[in-house]
Amino acid sequence: MTGASFGLEGVSVRFDAFPALSDVDLRIDAGEAVALVGPSGSGKTTLLRLLNGTVRPSAGAVRVDGERLDEVSRRRLRDIRSRLGFVPQDLALVPNLRVVQNVLSGRLGRWSFLGAARALLAPPRALVREVHALLDRVGVAEKLYQRTDRLSGGQRQRVAVARALFQEPSGLLADEPVSSVDPARARDTVRLLTELSSERRITLVMSLHNLELARAAFPRLVGLRRGRVVFDAPSDDVPAGAFEALYDLTTEELLGDGA
Amino acid sequence: MTAPELPRRPPAVGVRGLTLLLLLVAGALSYEGLGLTAAGLWPNEGGLAVAREFFGRALTPAWTSEARFVPPGTPPLLLDALGAAGRTVLYAAAAMSLALVIGVVLGFLASSSWWTLGERRGIGRTVTGALWFVARAVIAAMRSIHELLWAVLLLAAMGLSDLAALVAIALPYGGTLAKIFSELIDEAPRDAGEALRGAGAPALSVFTFALVPRAAPDMIAYTFYRFECALRSSAVLGFFGFPTLGLELRQSFRSTNYGEVWTYLYVLIALVIVFDWWSGRLRRRLVTT
Ligand SMILES: Nc1ncnc2c1ncn2[C@@H]1O[C@H](COP(=O)(O)OP(=O)(O)O)[C@@H](O)[C@H]1O
Ligand SMILES: [Mg+2]
Repeated sequence: MTGASFGLEGVSVRFDAFPALSDVDLRIDAGEAVALVGPSGSGKTTLLRLLNGTVRPSAGAVRVDGERLDEVSRRRLRDIRSRLGFVPQDLALVPNLRVVQNVLSGRLGRWSFLGAARALLAPPRALVREVHALLDRVGVAEKLYQRTDRLSGGQRQRVAVARALFQEPSGLLADEPVSSVDPARARDTVRLLTELSSERRITLVMSLHNLELARAAFPRLVGLRRGRVVFDAPSDDVPAGAFEALYDLTTEELLGDGA
Repeated sequence: MTAPELPRRPPAVGVRGLTLLLLLVAGALSYEGLGLTAAGLWPNEGGLAVAREFFGRALTPAWTSEARFVPPGTPPLLLDALGAAGRTVLYAAAAMSLALVIGVVLGFLASSSWWTLGERRGIGRTVTGALWFVARAVIAAMRSIHELLWAVLLLAAMGLSDLAALVAIALPYGGTLAKIFSELIDEAPRDAGEALRGAGAPALSVFTFALVPRAAPDMIAYTFYRFECALRSSAVLGFFGFPTLGLELRQSFRSTNYGEVWTYLYVLIALVIVFDWWSGRLRRRLVTT
C-alpha cells in the first residue's frame, strides 16, 4: 500500500462572502509529511477539510490520488474518505461510548450496517485484539474498556489517533492535534504521528501552531496567512523571518479571528 | 486610524422574548374570555357536603370491603387492590413496549439529522424530504388525540378488548416519544457524527452509532418518565371498564364507599413512588456504565 496523494488546483473557499481560502495551489505526494502552519483563522482547518471533501471548494479542483472529488459518485467519495483518517481539533469522539467502540467506529465506512452493529455491540476477539494493539502503539492500551469521557485530554487525543489509524488509512489529516495538551505531550504526539506515517507509509498532513515543533518534525512546511499560501518549502529553507511575518497580525486581523 | 464600522446590534427583545410575552398576554386574555372570577372558586352547599365526607376519610382508608353486600368468594379488599395495581402495571408495560417501537421508528424518520446526514441531492432529496414530512404529520396526528379519546374511538371499533386499551395508550405515547426522540437526536452534538461521515461511514451507521448514543441517556430518562405517565393513563382507562385501578375507583366512588376510594388512591400513589424509585436506580445503572 502506498500513501495517498493530494492536489489543490486554484482552490478558493468562501463562507458566505468571507474568503477563507484564496487561490491555493498545492501538491502533496504519496508518503509525504507536511506541516501547515499559520495563525488561527488563516484557513488551516478549511484546507484540511477540503482534502477529505467535507468542505467543497467555491472554485478550483481538489484531487485525491488523481480523482476530482467533485466529479466522483457519492459511493466513490465514501470509499475515498474511508481511506483518509482525520483527527479533528475537537477530537469528535462519542464521550459516553467505551474507548474500544470509538476506535472500532473508525471502520464504519467499510462495514454494512449489520456488520457495524455486530462489531460495535459484540466485537469478535480478532477485532478487539487489533484495537488493543493500536491502543498499545499510541500508549493507552489499558483504557480499552473505559468510558471515553473518563479519559484525560491527552489520552482522548490518543484514542482519536487510534480511531483514524484503525481505518488503515493511506492519508492522515490531523488538525492541531497538540493545541489542547502540554508542550511535552505535544512533542510526543507529533513524534508519534510522524513515526506512524513513515512506518506505515501514510501521507501525513498536520496543522500546527508550534513553529519549532513543525520545523523539527516535518521535512516540508506550508505557511498560510489570511487564506493564502505564503511559503511552501523544505523546513530548512524557511527563514525565521517568514514565520514572524506569518504571525505579525494587524489589529484588523485579530478582530476577524475565528476558530 | 479611523475606527471600523460597528457591527449591527442584535435586537434587544428577540423572537423568543416576544413569543414569551405573547404567551403571557394570551394567558391573561383567556381568563377574561372564560369570565373566571375568584368567587367561582367557592363550591355550592351540596358539593361542600360531599367534599367534606370524601376528604374526611383521607386518613382512614378502608382495610376491608365497605360494600353492604359482599358476594361470597370475593377476595379481601387489599388483595383486590393489589391485583388491580398489577393489572395497571401490565397494561402500562404492554402499551409502552408498543409505544417504544413506534417512537423509535417514527422518531428516526422525523429527525432532521438523519435526512441531512445523507448529503443527498436532486430526486433523492425530494423523496427523503417527503418521508420526513409524512412522519411529522403522522406523529402530530397521533399526539393530538388524547388517550381517553383514542379509548372512546377504539372501544367503539373493537369493544372492551385488552388490545383496545393498549392501542389507546400506545398511539399517543408512541407519537410523543417519537417527537421527543427526534428532537433529542437533533439537539445532540454532531461533531462525532460529522467526523465519521468524513471517514466514509454511511448515514445509517453514523446515525445509529454516533448520534443516537449521545442522545441515549436523555432518551432513556424520558422513556421512564413516560412509563410513569402510562401507569396513570392505564389506571384512568379503568373508568371505561378495563380491569385496572380506575375500575375499582369508579365502583367504590359510585357506591359512595369513600374509604375504599382512598385505599385505591393510596395504592396508586404507592405504585408511582415505587416505580419512580426503581426506575431511578435502573436508569443510573444504564446511563453510567
Ligand atoms: N463553516 C464556516 N462558516 C463561516 N465561516 C467559517 C466557517 N469555517 C471557517 N470559517 C472562517 O474561515 C476562516 C478560516 O477558518 P479556519 O480554516 O478554521 O482557520 P484555522 O483552522 O487556521 O484557524 C476563519 O475566519 C473562520 O472564521
Ligand atoms: Mg482550525
